[in-house]
Amino acid sequence: MLHLYHWEPNGASARVLIALEEKGLAFESRYVDLLAFEQHRPDFLRLNGNGQVPVLLCDEGTALTGSSYICEYLEEAFLAPPLMPPAPPDRWRVRWWQKYVDDHLARAVSELAWTAFRPQDPIQAPVSPPTRERRQAWEEAVAGYPPERLDQARERVALALADVETSLAGGPWLVGDGFSLADIAVFAYAAYLPRLLPDLPDRFPRPRVWLERTGNRRAVRSALARGEGGDPFATAAPGPERVRWG
Amino acid sequence: MAVELYFFQPLGTNSGRVFLALLEKGVPFVEHELSGRNFEHLKPDYLKINPKGQVPALVHDGRVLTEGMAINEYVDEAFDGPPLRPSDPVERWRMRLWSRYAENDLGRCLMMVNWNRVVPGFAGGRSAEEMKRLLATVPDPDRRRSWLRAFEQKTPPEQIDEAHRRIREGAEKVETHLRGSPWFAGRSHSLADVDFLNFCGFMARWMPEVMNERDTPATIEWLARMEERPALKDMRARTRFDGPPGR
Repeated sequence: MLHLYHWEPNGASARVLIALEEKGLAFESRYVDLLAFEQHRPDFLRLNGNGQVPVLLCDEGTALTGSSYICEYLEEAFLAPPLMPPAPPDRWRVRWWQKYVDDHLARAVSELAWTAFRPQDPIQAPVSPPTRERRQAWEEAVAGYPPERLDQARERVALALADVETSLAGGPWLVGDGFSLADIAVFAYAAYLPRLLPDLPDRFPRPRVWLERTGNRRAVRSALARGEGGDPFATAAPGPERVRWG
Repeated sequence: MAVELYFFQPLGTNSGRVFLALLEKGVPFVEHELSGRNFEHLKPDYLKINPKGQVPALVHDGRVLTEGMAINEYVDEAFDGPPLRPSDPVERWRMRLWSRYAENDLGRCLMMVNWNRVVPGFAGGRSAEEMKRLLATVPDPDRRRSWLRAFEQKTPPEQIDEAHRRIREGAEKVETHLRGSPWFAGRSHSLADVDFLNFCGFMARWMPEVMNERDTPATIEWLARMEERPALKDMRARTRFDGPPGR
């Protein structure tokens, strides 16, 4: 039996939850409350020493981390229904999107989402981050991101949406003829945007329709219902560390 | 149809990983070498191929593919030849995680230290104003800021110190892994080995105090196994060092 350790169904947790639901796989859900720092507790750190979700405990007993690579694992270990197109150029493009999300979009949206939705009760300091990297990421978030960093995040989001707009010119989904891991990766973050940047969706009409189309899929709706805190795109925790040197 | 690769010399990092993957796979390709020092990747001819102004780019069947990690999986899927990825899904997951570590974690720290050292020398005969005008044309905003920060030597010293700390920690992490595993993904050579070699392999020469036979013997043995591979010997023979180091 697969076990998924995840937080609210947004960002990286949403990516794996949606992939599992789309594949129709049975799994045990283990909710980890990031804002209560459950991801820094020793029992969780035994699974992932970096103290980050999601973690998929697979049948072979390995604790898989990294949402892009967990999704690829699910695709390769459980073939049907496919979430990758068959042709190599299209598969390349799906991986291109996953990397774009990992390197740029995840961080940009997380910074904006945290700024908008951070908990009302002030967090004075994170509880026992396991690595210096995570301590630094939490301390920056608790202190609040400087304005120029948020400007850079908005610039990145606009660039990403322009790419999404172009990709959707050829059909209803980002790559090829079908729904894929590329749609999942981008959706998990882009679903925040109508709330964060109300004017942006009007500038990018195709992404707006695509967000609705994706959000209405039965598997996506099931995945988004697996949270414990209401609307998953109205809550946030600090995201991945900024990739050094762009 | 012909395969074409646009890349920087000396071969390493992102250019080297795709070059080496093509050699390992046995795919013949047309070589288009760009000069990073002359900023040929920012000139109109290349921006027509990759508007993001980044290297490498692989052209196959009229399509332009970018992003080294995604290109290399394409190379393994689109061409006949020895497999570059394990068949077991868990080993494949491990391969991708190590590829990412080599590129985005340890590789970025090395890049920060390296760029801080070499980028000011890229100016050559150009004035500071000319250089800044040139770097302002880097299409990707994060990459543009990185170039400018390195050129103007504005990287905060504590960030460089932190990069050095992570490099030391990374060398230990890799050594621990390679003590229990002959290759990065597990039982077989894969793209993760190709990537670690290209992004981080030069540490043994460049930072011998961090990577050496006494402290990291398993890593040094792995490097020696890599250097025995015909594809890497071929790449070494085609590597030219008359450009800036480490790029």
